[in-house]
Amino acid sequence: MAEPSSSAAGWRSQSAWAGVAVSGHLGADGGAGVTVCCLRDVGMATLIAPKRREAALIAAVEARYGMRLPEDPRTVENGGVRAVWAGPDQWLLVTADVSGVETLREVIADLGAVSDQTGSRAVLRVSGRAIRAALAKGCMIDLHDGSFPVGAAALSSIAHIGVHLWRLADGPDGAVFEIAAPRSIAGSFWSWFAASAAEFGCAVVVES
Amino acid sequence: MSPQPFRTPAGGLIDRAKPFGFSFDGRRLEGYEGDTLASALLANGVRLVGRSFKYHRPRGILSAGSEEPNALVELRSGARREPNTRATTAELFDGLEAASQNRWPSLDFDLLSVNSLFGSALAAGFYYKTFMWPAAFWERVYEPLIRRAAGLGRAAVAADPDHYEKAFAFCDVLVIGGGPAGLSAALSAGRAGARVILCDEDFALGGRLLSDRRMIGGRPAADWLAATLAELESMPDMRLMRRSTVFGVYDHGVYGVVERVSDHLPTPPPFQPRQRSWRITAKRAILAAGAIERPVVFAGNDTPGVMLAGAVRSYVNRFGVLPGREAVLFTTGDDGWTTARDLADAGARVVAIVDARAEIDAGLRALAERIGARLVTGAVVESAHGGKALRGISVRNAAGHHVEMACDLLAVSNGWNPTLHLTSHQNTRPVWDATIAAFVPGAMPPGLVAAGSAAGRFRLEQALDGGARLGAEAAAECGHGRGAGTTDRTADDEGLPATPVWRVSGGSGRKRGKAFVDFQNDVTDFDIELSAREGFRAVEHLKRYTTLGMATDQGKTSNVSGLALMAEQTGKLIPDTGTTIFRPPYTPVAIGALGGHHRGRDFRPTRISPTHAWSERQGAVFIESGAWIRAQYYPQPGERDWLETVNREVLAVRAGVGVCDVSTLGKIDLQGRDVGVFLDRVYCNTWSTLPIGKARYGLMLREDGFVMDDGTTSRLADDHYLMTTTTANAGKVMQHLEFCHQVLWPELDVRMVSVSERWAQAAIAGPRSRDVLRGVVDGQHDISDDAFPYLAAREVTVGGGIPARLFRISFSGERAFELAVPSGFGDAMMQAIMASGRDYGITPYGLEALGVLRIEKGHVAGSELNGQTTARDLGLGKMMSSKKDYIGRLMATRPALVEAERPTLAGFRPVDASQRLRAGAHFLGLGQPASIENDEGHMTSTAYSPHLRSWIGLGRIRNGATRIGERVRAYDPVRNGDVVVEICNPVFFDPEGARLHG
Amino acid sequence: MRIDCPHCGSRDVQEFIYLRDAGPRRPDGMAATLAEMHVYLHERDNPAGRHRELWYHGSGCRAWLVVTRDTRTHAVFAVEALPASVESAST
Repeated sequence: MAEPSSSAAGWRSQSAWAGVAVSGHLGADGGAGVTVCCLRDVGMATLIAPKRREAALIAAVEARYGMRLPEDPRTVENGGVRAVWAGPDQWLLVTADVSGVETLREVIADLGAVSDQTGSRAVLRVSGRAIRAALAKGCMIDLHDGSFPVGAAALSSIAHIGVHLWRLADGPDGAVFEIAAPRSIAGSFWSWFAASAAEFGCAVVVES
Repeated sequence: MSPQPFRTPAGGLIDRAKPFGFSFDGRRLEGYEGDTLASALLANGVRLVGRSFKYHRPRGILSAGSEEPNALVELRSGARREPNTRATTAELFDGLEAASQNRWPSLDFDLLSVNSLFGSALAAGFYYKTFMWPAAFWERVYEPLIRRAAGLGRAAVAADPDHYEKAFAFCDVLVIGGGPAGLSAALSAGRAGARVILCDEDFALGGRLLSDRRMIGGRPAADWLAATLAELESMPDMRLMRRSTVFGVYDHGVYGVVERVSDHLPTPPPFQPRQRSWRITAKRAILAAGAIERPVVFAGNDTPGVMLAGAVRSYVNRFGVLPGREAVLFTTGDDGWTTARDLADAGARVVAIVDARAEIDAGLRALAERIGARLVTGAVVESAHGGKALRGISVRNAAGHHVEMACDLLAVSNGWNPTLHLTSHQNTRPVWDATIAAFVPGAMPPGLVAAGSAAGRFRLEQALDGGARLGAEAAAECGHGRGAGTTDRTADDEGLPATPVWRVSGGSGRKRGKAFVDFQNDVTDFDIELSAREGFRAVEHLKRYTTLGMATDQGKTSNVSGLALMAEQTGKLIPDTGTTIFRPPYTPVAIGALGGHHRGRDFRPTRISPTHAWSERQGAVFIESGAWIRAQYYPQPGERDWLETVNREVLAVRAGVGVCDVSTLGKIDLQGRDVGVFLDRVYCNTWSTLPIGKARYGLMLREDGFVMDDGTTSRLADDHYLMTTTTANAGKVMQHLEFCHQVLWPELDVRMVSVSERWAQAAIAGPRSRDVLRGVVDGQHDISDDAFPYLAAREVTVGGGIPARLFRISFSGERAFELAVPSGFGDAMMQAIMASGRDYGITPYGLEALGVLRIEKGHVAGSELNGQTTARDLGLGKMMSSKKDYIGRLMATRPALVEAERPTLAGFRPVDASQRLRAGAHFLGLGQPASIENDEGHMTSTAYSPHLRSWIGLGRIRNGATRIGERVRAYDPVRNGDVVVEICNPVFFDPEGARLHG
Repeated sequence: MRIDCPHCGSRDVQEFIYLRDAGPRRPDGMAATLAEMHVYLHERDNPAGRHRELWYHGSGCRAWLVVTRDTRTHAVFAVEALPASVESAST
């Protein structure tokens, strides 16, 4: 069952970025060479196909969501649901709303394994003219257009932290990336990101 | 401020409109933007800049680049003080503080220069000979003495206030060196559309074109340089990295680079690092690092004022400085003559040109005439003298007569050695090229080629041509076509190469004065002769015996001369004597740059639990536990020490109820038809019988039969299990399970993923735990003892519909539950538990109390699961199934692992209850001396048990289970512990387990 | 060093963990002798040259890979995904 963000009994969910990042400007004065949005927790689930039986699962997802799960390191999106390649026969499904995970469970039924991961990742959406220069201070993969085009995805590590990253459609300042880090390491990840983006000036928005 | 007496009235690439003030040994001086510290010192007439390593001989500036062996200085002060910096590469800035090093009490008057008089005691191998006896003197007398007398600069004591960065970059073509070859290579690769990175250690690109007056395409080289740089700067995929040294070549096209981002500034600008270390991955690389000029070995060749001829041109042409006014050129080829020309044109008096060759081109003779220099051919400089500043030289002419000449500058030109260091970083060796009397790159690391002088092709046309050709080839190999655009690559003529003179002997014996091969290590020609005589003839022995080629310059100006002299001694050719290969780094790299962001709090990533903020609000004291920051205990006002706090927390759990964060446990979601079978194979106990809705304790072995990890795994549905691992082993277990699944048993239908980050988990422990949970778990879930007995595990909801998981498991031995909620609700969960538990006096407890509770119950944890223990050692042998195969089954039956004498788990209590126990103490029989033979095992965990009002311990001792009631010594010499303890049941509290079931 | 993961592409060696020679097959623990298990677990050749090895892409796709590498030069000749080249011993 996917959880609401708060409940009748007064339980409130906290963002992975609570107590870590605050909205505002950090680093060098003047314009912001880097823009970062600390995303609120969204619905997230790992989807794993049984070995050699992924076709049925891919077909079911295509029928329900109108997108074909990528079998190489890419991401696809349709109607607010994003699928990111997460290893052979595995995907990370991201839905705007936590109830999306419940829907996914119904769609997949026994065609694969769905593991709810809502709240397990702290996700940054980053952009800006200097974003590649900032990310290069820890990202060990090549984010150049020729190597990491729109829709590319990767599992890698940044500053010794395991991350899942993917590239969205370009925005007004060029390339836009989303980077998901383990929730428990959000503080260390932010410390690295803030230090790396500081020289370019960085506009920070923390979603509530 | 003083005037700059040795600055030429005009010329050079310095900005005379931007004067910079700086100090050297406290003396205020002035230079210009565009100077190095060395050029600014020379402009001010400062020639004595340091004292040598061993003999404390006065030393000046030899070179104009990173090969400099002598001019090592300390830059800046306080926490930013940096020793052993080459004045020749230190970029001048306004306010720079520099100081000489390795002198006492002052540079000008160095008492330790008496070392020079005792030279024989400090000759090659002196460490091995002089200080051998008596042995006890080494540590107390000799070593401190040597450390004071010899050595380099002083490191700062305070922490470095600046920050450093690491960065990664990728390209098609990496060009190493920004001289004519490198720029041509970058240009042709860039024009072809390749992604190019060009690195140069200098702050200005151009290489020798900055220092030499050359023509390209019939016009001054500066025009070509400006046009080339402009075109390169305009290319979108071109990155020009100045102040960036490629220091290492690693496997598969990976290059280490250090970028000195702010070394040329007093302090780094806000948010800028001091330095940045790059790891550049390049498909192809072109080494265009140029060449290093060779000195000649003659008596007094280290006197300040003796300089390399190419360096003299750099100071004259690039920096507008005359390194001397009365100059002599000592040359073995045509190249040196341009130094004489440039010196004369800049206003110095060239006293004489001493050319070792008998035959000289008529054009050169005319040049000597034009500049009024006395020409002595077939002659050599036999000695230089002057002590702290060159005063004169002694020349031996073709007839063997000595001619004395007064001068304050001796420019030495003896040919060039290709800067090929990077080519041997993968253990490939350079080869000797007799035509240029130099080593050139031999076999190369894959993907790397050499261009221009670095390849031994010293002519400017060769550099321009070769660079352009190799750049285009590299781009083509990366899948790019040929680019458009042409460049004129014709250059002016440059005469004949050098016929090197390696050493000028002469004079006799000791009186001759020292002739240095390696300036930085004070290795003389005499030392090399000695090394040869004593049998240290192999190049590796030569290096170690004499220290030739060691320290910060790694023999950049000395290795080839050293080999040449050894060849002379042994009657061999230079290539038969040996080659020197080089290892990274090319020049010294600060550790800070390699560490980058990762120091202090950021040394490594730390993890915090989803309940961390809640614990902070409770005033918790935190402790690092592996990567995690965990609540250690929760002190209350008035508590005097941690033990009082922990005792209160322990007693509260046993008497009522406590709550503790256990989110840090590893959690792995396992789904699929064959998970039960899979678990049977990875755990030593049986799993296929586990009912849905139940948890079971599991013990996982390594294939060698030792325990790997433990934890509870629950069956949530028919084909859905949740495994928990210890906090410390979460990653290791995941890797192991992936191995078992992917490599050993891919036929099993198992799908697994870590969900450690998904759940916030709390242990609610104590007799009132169910009452507390009743107020947290939604009402429709029956958690009575009947419906939810010990080891029940189910999905429930909390807070009106939030998914949660409830496990009736206990680490404390009390009735206890673990409740897991989505991480975002971690804080809310703790608040709800505290609110529900208020009436029961619920008490938060931390890692310390958790430890006490588990030790009281004899539960094993990390100290016992240390990789050296078997299930049997831990009293868990009965868990090992005999009915199935599992990882570690067979190897656990090895005779040594089942022998009766192996230390096995037991409990320990001090006979005198007031005595403290310490983990790590070793067990000895009463009255037995402390020896390895008598060692019977050791204490693994200890705690103070408030119930027993005594320290208690777990440990492993020989035959533990059969020795209950026996007394032994717990011996701990490190902390002066020697306590008589009684061996007891490891379960100290409630051994029947009655409390577990409520 | 870099390893070209068949799933992820070329990556820095820092993302990978080396385990062992890819050759040995685990015997069935119920049928094997202690000596056979010992051979599987401990006995290894140490060739100077071409070597097939198991590597784990731990900071990437978490796949176990078979890397064929020259132990002298680190030259990598092939990187294969499982189970293409390591057969299960227990089926």
